[in-house]
Amino acid sequence: MTSGRHALRHNNQDQWAGRLLMDRKPAIEPDIITRALASNRMGVASVVFFGVAGAAPLTVIIGSISAIYAIQGSTAVPVAYLVVAGILSLFTVGFVAMSRHIVNSGAFYSYISHGLGRVVGVGAAFVALPAYSLMQIGLFGLFGSAASGILGAMGLQVSWYACALVAWVLVTVLGVLWVDLSGKVLAVLLVAEISIVLLYDLVMVANPAGGSISFETLSPAPMVTPVVGSLLVLAIAGFVGFEATVVLSEEARDPKRTIARATHLAVILAGLLCGVSAWAMSVTTGPDKILSVAAEHQTDLVFTLVGPHLPAVLVDIGYVLFMTSVFAALLAFHAAVSRYQFSLGREGVLPSAWGYTHPRTGAPLLGSITQSVLALGVISAYAWAGAEPLLYLFAWLTTIGGLGVLVLMWAASASVIAFFQQHRRGENLWRAYVAPFLAFLLLSIVLAATIIGFGDLLQVPAGSPFRWVFPVAYLGIAALGFGWALIMRTVRPEVYAAIGRGADVRVTALVENDFPPPLPPTPVGTHGYRY
Amino acid sequence: MLADQYYLIAHEDRTGRSRLHPRATGLGLAAALLAELVLEGRIGVTDGDLFIVDRHPPRDALGHDILDLLVAQPQHRDVRTWLAFLSQDAALRVGERLVRLGAVEPVTRRRMLGTSHTLYMPNSAQQRNAAAWASTRLANLLVRGMELSIVDRMLVSLVSATGLTRHVLYGFENYPHAFQFLPNAAASLPSDLREIVDYTEASIGSVVTVGRR
Repeated sequence: MTSGRHALRHNNQDQWAGRLLMDRKPAIEPDIITRALASNRMGVASVVFFGVAGAAPLTVIIGSISAIYAIQGSTAVPVAYLVVAGILSLFTVGFVAMSRHIVNSGAFYSYISHGLGRVVGVGAAFVALPAYSLMQIGLFGLFGSAASGILGAMGLQVSWYACALVAWVLVTVLGVLWVDLSGKVLAVLLVAEISIVLLYDLVMVANPAGGSISFETLSPAPMVTPVVGSLLVLAIAGFVGFEATVVLSEEARDPKRTIARATHLAVILAGLLCGVSAWAMSVTTGPDKILSVAAEHQTDLVFTLVGPHLPAVLVDIGYVLFMTSVFAALLAFHAAVSRYQFSLGREGVLPSAWGYTHPRTGAPLLGSITQSVLALGVISAYAWAGAEPLLYLFAWLTTIGGLGVLVLMWAASASVIAFFQQHRRGENLWRAYVAPFLAFLLLSIVLAATIIGFGDLLQVPAGSPFRWVFPVAYLGIAALGFGWALIMRTVRPEVYAAIGRGADVRVTALVENDFPPPLPPTPVGTHGYRY
Repeated sequence: MLADQYYLIAHEDRTGRSRLHPRATGLGLAAALLAELVLEGRIGVTDGDLFIVDRHPPRDALGHDILDLLVAQPQHRDVRTWLAFLSQDAALRVGERLVRLGAVEPVTRRRMLGTSHTLYMPNSAQQRNAAAWASTRLANLLVRGMELSIVDRMLVSLVSATGLTRHVLYGFENYPHAFQFLPNAAASLPSDLREIVDYTEASIGSVVTVGRR
């Protein structure tokens, strides 16, 4: 009698059931620990939300794009966003590859200190502080002027300063309490924003000027002219925040893949949304009229364009979402700035008081308060001087901040090259050498064009000191940082050694300084009794 | 036990709420649970990796449970992984252990929108006294500059690494030597425990930097 499958099973020869259980065990690949940890971690979608929410698409589309059309007087805006999305995608390749090899990668400056040395890293940190800080303060100008415009349409005359102050109070309180509009609230707002943008785009493209859709503003031809090249810095300012995704590498489900995919997605999503919307605006007015219409309506541009074709309630929803989007961006930037100061305080670059967090909430208190006080000072100074908020507060400060962020990205792309020059660390040629080099080259061109054309970006006449003072100021701040790093190296070498290490300061120091263990760890079960 | 003491210090005795960010409390408790196993000679730590020294189950049921898991999952050796894993339900499990001891009682609160959650908090006067004593005892030892046992030194190190110092030494601001002792407490620990403290501090640092609940 043959003992076939059924007989085996029936007679339980060789204890097949037991073997089955034993054989199955290693096949369950993600074990209980991995699964339990993964369940609490973020997938691609959540990280994308984090990145795109930082970039605040509706703020950029309604605020920045209309302002760029109105103030810069160039029709190359749509293609500028697409080109920048391309450049930043290239940059992301190397940046994310590097983030896999750095523990606790916080911000640009920790990359720069890993790649180009700690002296340059501290210089970068000193550039980053005013850059992000100015971008946040600039947003108060957008919020103030937009809110006072909306209230004015409802018949309430409120100055932009009063509106900005209300936002300031809210941001300050929420910042100290460390209430982030995290997770679901942000996701819901973002989905609503993106859907309303897509709806508006559809309406604008469906109602083209002169009855035919023009692709003129998507032509890449103006990109080669130097003046338009400097437009790219304004577009880059619209992407700021996407780099925050790498902060989450320890929170991601699969640190290797999740962050890379999410960062690329965030860049492409933001680029497409902004580029297509800018193009749609030019389609519905006609490429020749977009500049004059934008100058007339400013931040109301999109709403006036879609107003005749949509029920009033959809336009009102757009206004509400625009305000919440600007507010969310204010809060996100506030958190980013205070977190930046916190990590610098913790690493000893700033006084240690900045490294203190509230025990229960984890709020970086001093960083939060510093940024609030600075913002109040700047917006009050603008109100006192009676300067126009949209041009001088929003456009100027975000452009100046954008320049600082561009400098940081440029230095970070150089540091990626330097980092992989030391060792390729198992990354392929494209990620380790080719993409970082191309990104560095392109960012260098953008940076050069920006510095040359900076006066035109700010719309100041020839001969004004504002044409050159801001790039020089960044250079001075960076030099200050280099000097401070050199002082730290001589006075406090142990603090200097820890720069750019993030929260692992003490752990890495311990592993590096300790003598090697005399014996390898005892194998599992050596001392256990035998069953 | 270490984790019990830490639990009582890290939670408000009146409301049962965590005094720290919940994730920080979880990490502190996870570190205390691992330290208990180190102190009982069951596991050791070198260069950020855990290893099993002795498979004999400890008397405590929670310690037994964790040791079994450590033995059954030999592919995970990283201290940070285990801290992260244990921190997820450490508050719950230590809370249950305290219930078994009779130090706290489970109290179920209904939140808005109908979800309920269970807090483990001291309920009677006697329990509250015992809970308050956890931090008072530590402050007393520190202020008087008394000799600390190894368990207490580990407890003090965890308190200082997770940011509970200000709470424990509240009202003793004019005893600077008590504050000065804190960094030395970790330095005088055996290297296994010192590593656990350092990794706890690093994990809390990165959790706080991200600022996600």
